[in-house]
Amino acid sequence: MLDLAFAAFLGAVLLLGLKRPFLWVLGYIYVDIVSPQAIAWGFLGSIPLSLVFFAAAFGGWLVLDSKEGSRFTFRQVLMVAFFGLCAWTTMNAAFPEAAAAKWSWVWKSLLVGIFLPLTLRTRARVEAAVLIIVLAAGSIMISAGIKTVLSGGGYGTLNSYVRTNTGIYEGSTMSTVAITLIPLIVWLARHGTIFPPDWRTKLFAAGLAFACLLTPIGTQTRTGLLCIAVLFVLALRDMKRRVLLLGVMGVVGMMALPFLPDSYLERMGTIKTHQADTSASTRVAVWMHTLEDVKERPMGGGFDAFLGNELRYKTREVVGSGNNVKIEANDVIDKGRAYHSAYFEVLGEQGWLGLAIWLALQAIGLIQLELVRWRLRKSTHPEDRSDASLANALQIAHVVYLFGSLFVGIAYQPFIFMLIGLEIGLALAIKRRTASAAPPRPLVRKPTLQPVGVAGGA
Amino acid sequence: MVDYLSLGLSHAVLLLAFWRLMLRDDLDREPPRKPPPAEPGPEPEAPKERLGRA
Repeated sequence: MLDLAFAAFLGAVLLLGLKRPFLWVLGYIYVDIVSPQAIAWGFLGSIPLSLVFFAAAFGGWLVLDSKEGSRFTFRQVLMVAFFGLCAWTTMNAAFPEAAAAKWSWVWKSLLVGIFLPLTLRTRARVEAAVLIIVLAAGSIMISAGIKTVLSGGGYGTLNSYVRTNTGIYEGSTMSTVAITLIPLIVWLARHGTIFPPDWRTKLFAAGLAFACLLTPIGTQTRTGLLCIAVLFVLALRDMKRRVLLLGVMGVVGMMALPFLPDSYLERMGTIKTHQADTSASTRVAVWMHTLEDVKERPMGGGFDAFLGNELRYKTREVVGSGNNVKIEANDVIDKGRAYHSAYFEVLGEQGWLGLAIWLALQAIGLIQLELVRWRLRKSTHPEDRSDASLANALQIAHVVYLFGSLFVGIAYQPFIFMLIGLEIGLALAIKRRTASAAPPRPLVRKPTLQPVGVAGGA
Repeated sequence: MVDYLSLGLSHAVLLLAFWRLMLRDDLDREPPRKPPPAEPGPEPEAPKERLGRA
């Protein structure tokens, strides 16, 4: 039944794309995020949906779409370089089979980042891509939000559509992406033109944003709590009555505490306790080992190079009860612990060069968005206000993702490369509009030679 | 049950989005920039009363 429903939906998208081939690009974004072939249990799993939609998207762009407005930017060059580096490290990986398995999906993520900006050649397409990304990822968060309300969720137990706990369906990744969506949801509710900002749009947006806020509670990830805190701090930047808003947020937070599940409060409480020490000790040990590893392998060890780590660290455990409680320190030896950080993930797998390219991709995007905000800050034109607001929303979303990346290995997720693609698309759209609105330069007339009287004339 | 409800709602909105996008010509061709809305001018002065001769 689910297979038929998905097949009907995807078939409709393919048909609509015959009139507007760009819809196939949006269809590919949808398939990449939602992975309907993994949700449905029947015949859909045997159809290579990613391949079908990528072929339609790329073929449609190549053959049917105008290239007017398409540009290849420096960041896309960086992504091509990163693609090449990852291919090279995969061929020389310390763990070839594991590296090949990870490369089999990473290359598609990078391809999205390289290809998407080429198709975003109008302002409407940028908004369309934002909308489809929000709705596709939001479909996962709606389910997570409802389940959190009904059952309170649980760490590692909040079941989403796909039970494999990988990619966007993994708890910490889902939490990070959920909070990342919120500024984009707010922007669409205020400035959207596909669904104009009437009461129905705002009601749906409010529900979706609330579901996104509930998702980290349902997954009970500490990363999610960090992302929520970062989001609120950044949201204050453009607010006028900051002190009042801070006060309101504090009161709402205090009022919400009794309604939060006990298991959630208990898990967040471990941020300060010895249980966090174990988690923190493991992570710090992995990171230190990675720093040592790149001294010997400055070009990285290829994907999943963490499989070679062997860590020694101390843990603390509370033993006993009542008046007879003591804390025991134990030495632990652990092997093959994952990076739990996008930064160390890239460093360990692609080396210093890979890390430099990845960081440059992020930094250039944030700086470019800040320049857009600064350039449009005094304009009162509605289109400029909308663009400045979108630049702000993308910037906040990006920073939230980078904070989530501190403690989750999400360096290569398709979502971040879609975000980068949107940033490039917006910057190019503004550049095109500025160039077409600039007054033409006045022609400089060359001085002509005027005849002078003949010397010595009568 | 929750999954079906979430999938149904979200995909109905997605389908509507795709339909609306299919109808948008500015998806393929950037329209000319709209002029900014006209700023309201100064209020016209009330006509002065003519003082008639007694």
